[in-house]
Amino acid sequence: MRSRLLTLFLALLFGLPFVLLGLLAVGEDWRFPAALPMRYSLAAVRSLLAADNDLLAGLGRSLLLAGTVAVGATASGFALARAIARSRRAAQWEAASYLPYALPPVLLAVLIQPFIIRLHLSGSVGGVLLGLGLVALPFATLLLRSFWSPQVREYEHLARTLGCTAGQALRQVLLPLAWPLLRTTLVQTFLLTWFDFGLTNVLSVGKVRTLTVQVFTYVGEANAQLAAVASLLVLLPPALLLLVNKSALLRKP
Amino acid sequence: MPGTVATLSPARLLLWLYGLLVVGLPVAGLAYALLGSVGLAGPLAAGFTGRYWRALGADTGLLYAALYSAWVAVASVGISTGLALLLVLWAQPTLRRPPLPALLYVPLLMPSLVVAFYLFQLLSRAGWLSRLSFRFGLTANLEDFPELVQDGPGVGIILAQVLLSFPFLTLLFQAIYQESRLAEYYQLTLTLGASAAQFRRRVAVPVLLRQAAPTLLLSFIATLGAYDIPLLLGRPYPQMLSVYIATRLQRFDLRELPSAYLAGFLVAAGLLGLIGLLRLTGRARDTASVP
Amino acid sequence: MKKFFLSLLALLAGCGSDKPREPQQILAQTWPQIEAKGRSQTVSMVMWQGDPLINRYMNGYVRPELKRRYGIDLQISAGQGAGLVQTLAAEQQADQPSEADLLWINGETFYQLRQINGLLGPFVAQLPNAGFLDLQNPFINTDFQQPVAGMECPWGNVQFTFIYDSSKVTRPPQSFAELPAFLKAHPGQFTIPNEFTGMTLLKSWMIALSGDPKLFQGKFDEAVYQKWSGALWRQLNESRPYFWKQGRTFPEQLAPLHQLFANGEVAFTFSNNDAEVDNKVNQKVFPATARAYVPAPGTIRNSHYLGIVRRAQHPEAALLVINFLISPEAQLKKMDPNVWGDHTVLNLQALPAAQREQFEQLPSRRYAPRREAIQGLALPEPDPEYMTRLFKDFRTYVIEK
Repeated sequence: MRSRLLTLFLALLFGLPFVLLGLLAVGEDWRFPAALPMRYSLAAVRSLLAADNDLLAGLGRSLLLAGTVAVGATASGFALARAIARSRRAAQWEAASYLPYALPPVLLAVLIQPFIIRLHLSGSVGGVLLGLGLVALPFATLLLRSFWSPQVREYEHLARTLGCTAGQALRQVLLPLAWPLLRTTLVQTFLLTWFDFGLTNVLSVGKVRTLTVQVFTYVGEANAQLAAVASLLVLLPPALLLLVNKSALLRKP
Repeated sequence: MPGTVATLSPARLLLWLYGLLVVGLPVAGLAYALLGSVGLAGPLAAGFTGRYWRALGADTGLLYAALYSAWVAVASVGISTGLALLLVLWAQPTLRRPPLPALLYVPLLMPSLVVAFYLFQLLSRAGWLSRLSFRFGLTANLEDFPELVQDGPGVGIILAQVLLSFPFLTLLFQAIYQESRLAEYYQLTLTLGASAAQFRRRVAVPVLLRQAAPTLLLSFIATLGAYDIPLLLGRPYPQMLSVYIATRLQRFDLRELPSAYLAGFLVAAGLLGLIGLLRLTGRARDTASVP
Repeated sequence: MKKFFLSLLALLAGCGSDKPREPQQILAQTWPQIEAKGRSQTVSMVMWQGDPLINRYMNGYVRPELKRRYGIDLQISAGQGAGLVQTLAAEQQADQPSEADLLWINGETFYQLRQINGLLGPFVAQLPNAGFLDLQNPFINTDFQQPVAGMECPWGNVQFTFIYDSSKVTRPPQSFAELPAFLKAHPGQFTIPNEFTGMTLLKSWMIALSGDPKLFQGKFDEAVYQKWSGALWRQLNESRPYFWKQGRTFPEQLAPLHQLFANGEVAFTFSNNDAEVDNKVNQKVFPATARAYVPAPGTIRNSHYLGIVRRAQHPEAALLVINFLISPEAQLKKMDPNVWGDHTVLNLQALPAAQREQFEQLPSRRYAPRREAIQGLALPEPDPEYMTRLFKDFRTYVIEK
């Protein structure tokens, strides 16, 4: 009984956001003290399909950005974690990896912005990529650091002595071994980027309008209906990820 | 010269590039902020001055922002940890049965900005809960509904942080619980005649907290620097650190920039110092506990 | 290896940069030359994006029109105030061309941009449509007591108004003098947004307290400011217990205040645009019972402007865009309360009769006062320093107290 109540409570707690956002997305003329919207309209949802609509473009931008960062950070993080494992100063490198991770993203963005401008990257996707990479790369490296245990290095060594080329060892031994962890890293870095608002907003000078940036714009316009539609769009890809791969969502840096 | 380049192995080159990115860029940013705070960098820089550092004593805003952030972080991480421990220690059977583990993953899908927007719509005085309570006659007007967002003690911010982090901590504790075979220890302590309460207090809680300590520390620091949530659910005063610095940088008056740079520098240096300190004490404790 | 790091450092320092052209070179061109050069380019415009109707005017009308007429691709991004000035200043320091071409600015940003020499100009006289501009009007040719001098082009003209819900408030305070007593009698209905619009309210209130708008003309006067801001803080702190949430907090942006008003949590909100109430009611954001008015002895009327960045990469195209934005067609469209409701900066007498008639026949305002009715209640903007100081001191003497 208690167990069922608890389950019910948690389901309600976590389901309510979707209910309220859904109501806001289709509700019109809804103000205090009405408990439910006066009218329902699909106008905001339908406006997604309008030609000049920026929300779908934002969805695309966010997907592209998060996908690029996830793949880039995971691939580089894999190589970097190996280099760190072999380095004589592994502990120092590991400590250094915590540096950007320790600073709040907005503060980090504010601090590096003068240099982003000097690199001609201000307001560009490149600048945002660099900023997000700065957070995602150490994260991926730290996550993948645990893979390069002495045992794995022995496997690698063994494969090479048995006549594998470096590429073959990577493809046939290391990647299959690392795959579960790589998958987690991909999902994690994707979400890290997907969820970001502050860093992107500062570094893009408002130009790279990802979905979260748009949510904020609509909240700023006091446009609850469109903000709710944008919020639901933001929730969509991670929900799909959850369906596909639950365990990868648990981040454990 | 070409010879020296040739001796740089690809792995080392990669590491140095990595260092340039993850250490070089933030450190350069810190240096720039430091220069900005003494009038040597920035749009209206007019030469060295210690004015802004001296003015720091009179400006209590930063201190309040730091204290307020600390309060929110302690409260959020504390409540989340408490809830997660409760669930893991008292609701083991429920946690193992579907749909629960999957359910706990749901909040991990939510960006903090969306959670903040949702909670504002839910909890503000004209929000959904207030409307429902009005409908059911619990409150007679807007003012009767308690102030839950943009409130003084930061209840809204803390609620949002807890909603995001307690399910995650529950999953983490549950993973540790299983990995550390705490269920078996539990049976063992029972057969040895100890009570369930003793097991929880003496064995389970210490094991869980100890193993989760690095993650707890990181979520504490992340909450300390939270931006999206306090931006929507906080007040103009007191503000949390990230919001405080961002607002100061965007004030109308350009002459205020150096003090904003100073605030940014101090907060960054403070956070790094905090991490360094905790690492040091952590290491000292680790080595001390080795027999 | 050393060489490698040196080149990386050089990259970080941004050594390689294409030198921007000199402003004289750009402005010396004839209009046909400008037109030829500006066609089919991308113009990056930075503007405040907090209003859906303004955004819709830009995205739904201006952008397609520019594309059709000149093949210009107008890219709009969000930004304003000090953040914008900082970005431009940083670009200047790095000696590189700007990411922005065109800016939507007014008073305080204009002042700061002049301080860092960030604007291209004077350019207004170059524009073929400049002949229609009402440049004799002091509310248009002077921006926060600074002569515009062709460095920015007027785009719209607005006046600060109180907006109230007539279903909750039958008789709003008719003057600033009546306000304190009104607040005491109706607690919890009023607050001040801690941003641009709120500062315009404070300026108007301060001028009303002084009883002499002339005091605030010309350069910033410390003694005048001290005396009347002091009086303002006293009055505010006395009325504060009757503010929304007992004055313990203030909305940080205008939109949240609009939201509170829309939700019925407060009975007053404000707008820097006298026609905004109409478009907000038309959008169903505000209840149909919302009304706007100007309390005596008046509120601030000002204009907002378009400026070109000194280091703009597409200055010619930016000139074409501005010329289009001040064309009678674009101004007419913008003035329609169903579109944006922003008052024109054109001198209607200078327009051909047919076009003048179109302006006169625009759907009239239903909820906002008519322009003629508030003509005598318009105060000029004081020096930007008043705003900067009020913003800082409002925080120190009211919010943080």
